[in-house]
Formats: sequence, structure tokens, C-alpha cells
Amino acid sequence: MAPGEANSGNGGQILKPFTFNEIVLRNRLTALVVDGDNFCRLLEQGILQAYGLETQSVDNGDAAVELIASGAKFDLILIDMLLPILDGLEATRRIRAMGVRCKMLGVTAFSGERERQAFLAAGVDVFVEKPLGPEILIPILRELDEQYPSI
Amino acid sequence: MDVVNQLQRQFIDNSASLHREGFLDDQFTQLQKLQDENSPDFVVEVASLFFEDCEKLINNMSRALEQQQGVDFKQVDASVHQLKGSSSSIGAVRVKNICVAFRSFCEAQNREGCLRCLQQVTHEYSLLKNKLQTLFRLEKQILAAGGSIPGVE
Repeated sequence: MAPGEANSGNGGQILKPFTFNEIVLRNRLTALVVDGDNFCRLLEQGILQAYGLETQSVDNGDAAVELIASGAKFDLILIDMLLPILDGLEATRRIRAMGVRCKMLGVTAFSGERERQAFLAAGVDVFVEKPLGPEILIPILRELDEQYPSI
Repeated sequence: MDVVNQLQRQFIDNSASLHREGFLDDQFTQLQKLQDENSPDFVVEVASLFFEDCEKLINNMSRALEQQQGVDFKQVDASVHQLKGSSSSIGAVRVKNICVAFRSFCEAQNREGCLRCLQQVTHEYSLLKNKLQTLFRLEKQILAAGGSIPGVE
């Protein structure tokens, strides 16, 4: 098992804390960031770009749905819960209803169990209470990277 | 060489005290690790964006709380919620903690409590901004003197 990886299963032990710059991706993954807050949107894009991801961002749920409906494809979508025009829950539902199966992370400042259940029920794969840290992001990026065949 | 060492020591001390006094947490350290030769100004840029965002949100809260004919607590709460998100994203833990308390006062529609929190948030944000600007100034001085920024840990 590589250093930094948890043992399998819940309550597994983390051997060492994840750090942000820990991995190098082989593939150019694509991501969409949906956040109504300027700073969070740009920060999350910046973090993903630091890993070599190609990113796009929108600041409301309606724009996110439109973008996906127009045919844009992403490996990863980060979406906030509270969004102008169309909220994150409804936007997520509509995106999933279009048959989009990519990894979706609900990244929100909400921390309650009720919010978590709601976001997961709407269709996000992972509920992340801000901040988006390396211990959540790195394993996901690694998993997405490995989905692509090695040359 | 002496000058560089002195500056570096100051940088390390300032950095350590920011963490020790709870101004910043590990999230900030993680963001520092993303800075490299491809994005040499990443942290400064992120911090500037945060300050801009903070100022805008604090202004929103202030305006909403000033409404004499009835405060729209939902509006205040929306701004506090955003500030909670952005402060935790940069690792500004003291600001974030005030936001948590602030939201309770919004929920209770307690104007006095909200005003107190607004004051605290403004104060903490100013403190953090000053300290970070000092840190960034030290970084510039170190680089200008031909030294390197002490490693982040």
C-alpha cells in the first residue's frame, strides 16, 4: 500500500496526512466548478488547475445545467448547494436526469446531516463540507485518472 | 547572507504565530503547497481574492443590518454563510468560527448579537489581512535579497 493511503473500509487508519501536491496525474482531466461565491469558485478552479485539470466554472445552477445540456463533458463536477437562479440540489437533479454519470462533489459550507442527505439524494457522489481538502480530493483525482487506460 | 537569514527567521516566526494563534489552519498550509514555479504567486493571489470577497460580504451584512425599517435576517445569513465557506476554504479559522456564531444570531433574529458578530468579523478580518500582508512583504524581501522562502510544514 502506498504511503498516505488509508486501509480499506471505514475507520481505517491513515498512515500519513494527505498533502495537496502529492500526486501527478497522467491524464488531462476536465472539471466544472459551480459556485456562486467568487472566491470559492476561483480557488477551487485554482486548486484543480494546479493538478493540470482543464477547468470551467459558472456561478449559478442554471448556467451549469445549460452547459451540460449543450453537450459539454466533464470528468468531475464540483457544485455548491446554495446557488443563485437555480440551487445546487435542483441543478444536480437535472444534470443527473440528463444521464450524466460523472463524479459529482457537493462542496458546501453547510454542515448538517439533513443537508448531507438532501445533497446525496439529489445525486452528488460525495458531500464535502468546505474546505475542499487534499484528503478528499486526492483519492478522487487518482480514481478518475486511473479510469483512463495507460498508454 | 545575514540579512537573508534574519528575514527568513522573521518569516518562520510570523508564519508559526499565525498558526499558533489560530488565525490560519492546515488548509492554508495546503494551499501554500500548491504554489510552485508554474504558479509562483498562487498564495498572494488567493489571499487578495479572499480579502476582496470578505470586504464585499461584510459590506452586504452591514447594509442589511442597518435597515431601520426591519432587518432581512435571511439576507444577512446568506452573506454570513458565504463568508463561512470562503474563510474555511482559505483556512481563516477565526473568521470562520465567528461566522458560525453569527449564523445562530441570524436564526434567532437577534440584531444586537448580529451587530456584535459583525464587529468581531471585521476586526478578525483586518488583523488577518495585516498579518498576511506582512508575511507577503517578508517573502518579497527575502526573494529580493536573493534568498529562498523557508519550506512550508
